[in-house]
Amino acid sequence: MRFSYSWLTEHLKTNAHFEEIEKKLTSIGLEVEDIQDTGKAYQDFIVGQVLEEKKHPNADKLKLCKVDIGKEKVDVVCGAPNVEKGMKVVYAPVGSTIPVNQMKIKAAKIRGVESYGMMCSEYELGISNEHDGIIRLEEKETIGRSFSEIYGLNDIVIEIGITPNRQDCLGVKGIARDLASAGMGELLERKISREKGSFKSPIKIEIKDNKICSAFAGRYFRNVKNTESPEWLKNKLKSIGLRPISALVDITNFVMYDENRPLHVYDADKIDGKIIVRSANDGESFLALDEKDYHLKNGMCVIADEKKVLGLGGIMGGESTGCSTETKNVLLESALFDEINTAKTGRNLSILSDARYRFERGIDPNSTLKGIDLATQLILEICGGECSEVELAGNIKENKNEVATSSSYISRRLGFEVSDKELIPILSSLGIETSQTGDVIKCLIPSWRQDIQGEADISEEVIRIKGYENIPTSNIRLKSKINKNILNFAQKKLMKARHFIASIEYDELVTFSFTDSKNCEVFGNINKLKIVNPISEDLDILRPNLLPNLLQAIKKNKNRNFDSFSIFEIGSQYRSTSPEDQLNVACGIKSGIKTEKSWKNIQTEFDIYDVKQDLTSLIDYLMPGNKKISVSNDCPSWYHPGRSGSIKINNSVIAGYFGELHPRVASQFKIKNKINIFELYLDELPNTEKKTTNKPVLNLSDFQIVTRDFAFVIDKKVKSEEVVTSASKVDKELIRNVEIFDLFEDDSLGKDKKSIAIKVTLQSNEKTLAENDISEISSKIIESVEKSTSGTVRS
Amino acid sequence: MKDFRELETEIKKASDKFTNIESINEFRIKFLGKKGIISLEMKELASLSGDERKQHAEKLNKIKDTVLEIIASKTEELNSEELEKKLNSETLDITLSTSKSYGTIHPISQVIEEVITIFGDLDFFVAEGPEVETDYNNFTALNTSEHHPARQMHDTFYVETETDGMPNVLRTHTSPVQIRSMLKQKPPIRLIAPGKTFRCDNDQTHSPMFHQVEGLVIDQESNMSHLKGCLEIFLKTFFETDKLNMRFRPSHFPFTEPSAEVDIGYTKKGNQLIIGEGEDWLEILGCGMVHPNVLENVNINSNEYQGYAFGMGIERLAMLKYGISDLRTFFDSDLRWNKHYGFSPLNIPSIIGDLS
Repeated sequence: MRFSYSWLTEHLKTNAHFEEIEKKLTSIGLEVEDIQDTGKAYQDFIVGQVLEEKKHPNADKLKLCKVDIGKEKVDVVCGAPNVEKGMKVVYAPVGSTIPVNQMKIKAAKIRGVESYGMMCSEYELGISNEHDGIIRLEEKETIGRSFSEIYGLNDIVIEIGITPNRQDCLGVKGIARDLASAGMGELLERKISREKGSFKSPIKIEIKDNKICSAFAGRYFRNVKNTESPEWLKNKLKSIGLRPISALVDITNFVMYDENRPLHVYDADKIDGKIIVRSANDGESFLALDEKDYHLKNGMCVIADEKKVLGLGGIMGGESTGCSTETKNVLLESALFDEINTAKTGRNLSILSDARYRFERGIDPNSTLKGIDLATQLILEICGGECSEVELAGNIKENKNEVATSSSYISRRLGFEVSDKELIPILSSLGIETSQTGDVIKCLIPSWRQDIQGEADISEEVIRIKGYENIPTSNIRLKSKINKNILNFAQKKLMKARHFIASIEYDELVTFSFTDSKNCEVFGNINKLKIVNPISEDLDILRPNLLPNLLQAIKKNKNRNFDSFSIFEIGSQYRSTSPEDQLNVACGIKSGIKTEKSWKNIQTEFDIYDVKQDLTSLIDYLMPGNKKISVSNDCPSWYHPGRSGSIKINNSVIAGYFGELHPRVASQFKIKNKINIFELYLDELPNTEKKTTNKPVLNLSDFQIVTRDFAFVIDKKVKSEEVVTSASKVDKELIRNVEIFDLFEDDSLGKDKKSIAIKVTLQSNEKTLAENDISEISSKIIESVEKSTSGTVRS
Repeated sequence: MKDFRELETEIKKASDKFTNIESINEFRIKFLGKKGIISLEMKELASLSGDERKQHAEKLNKIKDTVLEIIASKTEELNSEELEKKLNSETLDITLSTSKSYGTIHPISQVIEEVITIFGDLDFFVAEGPEVETDYNNFTALNTSEHHPARQMHDTFYVETETDGMPNVLRTHTSPVQIRSMLKQKPPIRLIAPGKTFRCDNDQTHSPMFHQVEGLVIDQESNMSHLKGCLEIFLKTFFETDKLNMRFRPSHFPFTEPSAEVDIGYTKKGNQLIIGEGEDWLEILGCGMVHPNVLENVNINSNEYQGYAFGMGIERLAMLKYGISDLRTFFDSDLRWNKHYGFSPLNIPSIIGDLS
C-alpha cells in the first residue's frame, strides 16, 4: 500500500516528525518497506524558457538552445524533436541527477559545442514512459519555479506492507486512525456534504443472490462532463503510482485509496433496463476492462443488465459500460460482495485487481454509503451535473463483533501486568467500545475491524499499540526436564550416517526433492509421483530415488571440469505422493580417480569394492555388534547386473545396494564414466536402541598366534565368500580370522577356474598349538573348502 | 704364586684395537672362548690346592669381569657409532607429502545441527512430519481456511493424491508438524521441527525448495515474554555474539495471535555483515502466541493451555552467519561451492565444544 505524507496529513493532525511516524508505522505492524522523498529527488529541477533555438553546426538532429532559467541564461544542446522557441521547459542544471538512470549532469562539449544542463522528458524524470519529447509546461509557469511544486511531487511517498488481517489499512484514513491511536496525533474527519438527490434513479437494482452480494447502492448522475481530472487529483494518484485516466475513474480510485471503499461507475446510457446482481450462468462470457474475454461459471457474482453482463462483482468492470469523454449519464456503484466468493472467482479467472484485493479481505459495510457520499461530492464538484437519490438494494448489516476479555487474560498471554486503566484507553482509541462488569471487559468491535474476533485478537491490539518493545524477556529454562531424548534413534541414525559418510571423503549435496520424469521410469512409477503445478517441466515429479538429481549434479560438475567425484545425499525419496510414502535414504557415488598418480602412488580408479566397503562400514558404524551381513546379486534395474549386489542384514530385509550404474541409465544421463553407487535404506536398519551401556565381555588369549596359508582352485562362478565361510566354520573357537589375500585367474588353472588364497589365523584360549594340532585343523579346513566349493587345494 | 700381570697387560693392549664388532668377537674368543686364555687358566685351577686355588680363582674372576665389561662397553660404543652412521644415511625429503581428504557437510545440515544443539540444551526435542502433507494439516488446522488470503501468499505445490477430498500439498512450511505433534502428545510440549518446505516460486531470492525450523512450546504459562526470552538465547547462541539488537514488531500469521516478526540489528563493514550491532534491521523469523483455534483443532483446551510458536528459514540463518550471498547456490551442487562453504565431518556442533 502506497500513500504520500501529504495525503496522510489530510486525515491526521500531527506534530510528529516524519521519522517518528516512519518508526511508529513499523512498530504498530504497518511495516515500512520503502520511502521515496520525491521532494528531494526533484529539488534541483526548475522551470526554464527557450529563448533561442538553432541547428547544431555538426549534427543534424541536435539543436543549440539558449534557455532562460531566471538568474541566468544558459546554452543547452538538445536532441528533442519538439523543442521550440518560447517553450516553457523542465531544466536540469549541472550537478543534478536524472532520476531514471541516476546520471549526474555535467557541463560537457557535445559535438564540439558547450552545453550546460539538460531539458527533460517525463521518462527521464521517472514520471511516465513518455520519451518522445521534452515536457512542455503551461505558458503561465514562472521561470525559475520548482518543478516538483508544479507536479505536486514535493512530498514523501511511503510504501507499507499490509498483512492480510489489516484490510482497514488499505485506505489512507485507516492508516491515520492507527497512527492516531498509537499517539501520533489526532484523526481528522473529512467534511462530506450529504447530497439528497433531486430525482429518483431511473435505473433500478435487483439482487438475485444475496449470499454473493448483500447490498448494492447505486446513484444516477445526469449531464456530467467526464473531463481530465484537476491537477490536485492527478498528482495525488500519480504520487502513488496510479495513472490518471478521466475524472470519473480517478474519483473512484481516489475514494478506494482514501477510504478503502471500492466503487464503480457505469456509463448509464449503455445499460439496458435494470441492474441485476446474480450468479453467472455457465458458458456466459464477458469482455473486462483489461480487454480480456472471461468465460464465467455458475457461482461467480456478475453485475448484469437485462441483456448482458456488465461486470464481475467486486473484481472488475466491463468494456461495454466503460466511461469515456463522451459519457453524459452515469451510475455509481458501491456494494458489498462476499469475501470468499470474490476470492474464489478472482483465483479461478486469475484476475488481480485492487477491488478484488480489498473485497476478499473484507470491506467495512459502513463504508457503502459513505463512499457514495464522498464520490458524489467530488463528481458534482469536478464533473458537474445532478445526482439522483441513492437506490439501495439488499441490507447493510453492520455485524459488529462482541468479545469479552479481562486484564488478567491479557496479562497472562503477554507475560506482564496490564491494568484495566491502561487497557481501556488503548481499546477505545482503536474505536473499540468497552463496558466493564467486574473483571470482565466487554468489547464492541467497530465495523472496520472484522479481523478482531476473539480475546487473543484483543491481546494483540493492546500490545501492538503499547509497543512490542515493552514486552519483558523471561527465562525459559525449566527445573526438570520434560523430554527424555532430543533426537530419537532414527534421527540420530541420519545424523551419524551423514558425518560418517563425509568422513570417508564424500561431499554432501542437497538437491531438490523434485526431478525430471524423463529418464526416471527405471527408478519408480512416475505416474504416482506427479506434481500438479510443477515449477518447470523438468521438475515435474517427486523423486523416486536420490540418484537422478545426483547424476545430474555429476553432469554439471563434469562441465565445470571436475572428473572425479565422491558425493552423497541423505534425504527423502518417494514411493508415491501420499504422505506416508516417504523414505529416508543415504546415497553415495564415487567415480573417477581414487588416487592420483604421484611420486608415491600409481593412479587407481574407484570401483564397486570402494562403495561396498563404504556401505558395509557405514552399516557397521550404525549397527555395532553382532550381525550377519550377506550379499546377493538381486539388485534393482538401475544397477549393472553383473557388477552389483544387495546387502541383507541378519538374513531378513535388504538394507541397501552397491554397484556400478547400469550403462543404459548412464547414457540416458549422458554420463560416460563408471559410476559406483551405494544406497542405504536407513529406515530398514533395525532400530536397536542401546539396552545397556556395558560392552560385551572381552576374552583375551595370551597363547601364540599361528597363521597358515591355503590356495584353492575353484570354478569361476563359485563366490569367494564360500571359501571363507567354509573355512571359518571348521572350528569357531580356534579359527580367529580368514582373509582372502590373493585372487588369480589364468588358463593354466583350467577353463573357467580361478585360484583363491586365504590366510587363516589360529589361536587357542587354552594352550600353545602344537604342530599336530595345526596339521589336524589344516586338513579339516582343506576338506571343508574342497567339499563346499568342489575345488581342489593347490600344493 | 702366579700373578696375572702379563695377562692383564695383554688384555689392555688387545682392547685398544677394536674397530668393529668382529674384532670384539675375536677378543672375546681369545680370552673367554672354550680355548681362550682365561678359560684355560680356569681349567688349571683344578690342579691347584687350597689357598692358592682360591686366590687364583678370585683374580681370574676379576679379570673375567673386566673382559666382559670391556666387551659390553665397546659393543655399545661401536653400536651407537654404527647407528649414527646409519641414521646419517637414512634421510627422507620431508617437503614431499601425500594428502588425505575428508568430505564435507552441507551448510544446511550444519545449521540444522547447530539449531538442534541450541534448542536441545533448552529441553526441546526434535519432531518430524512428512514433506507431502494433507491440506488440513498444512492450512485448515492452522486456522487458515480454504479462502484465507494468507493461502495465496504461499504459492502451494499440489500433488495428485487426496485426503478427505482435498488434494495433498507439498508442505509450504514446517508448521503442520505442530499439528501432528499436538495430536500425538499432551502438553507440556517443547519441540522443534527442522525440515524441507516447498513453494511454487523461483527467482533470485526464492527457491522452490527450502528449509525451515519450527518451534512450539505449549504448557500452562508460556507467554510472549518467554517467547522473547527463548528467541534471545537462541539468536545470541547461534550467531555466537553477546550483543544482539533484537526487534519484535507486529505481523500476522493465521495460526498465531499476537504475531510478531523479529528483526536483528546489523552493520556492514565493507562486504561483511556484522550481526547483532547497528541500526539497520534484518528480518530473521516469524513467531507468536499459538492461536486458541489451533489448540482447539487438536483437542487441547485453550483456556487451560497456551504457548508460543516460531519459524525461521535455515538458508537465511546460514547466509547471515556464514556470509553466503546467493540462496540458489545451496542447491546448485557446484562442488567448488560445497568444498568452500562445507564443514568438516568431525565438526559436530556442541554446547561444550564449538557450535561452528
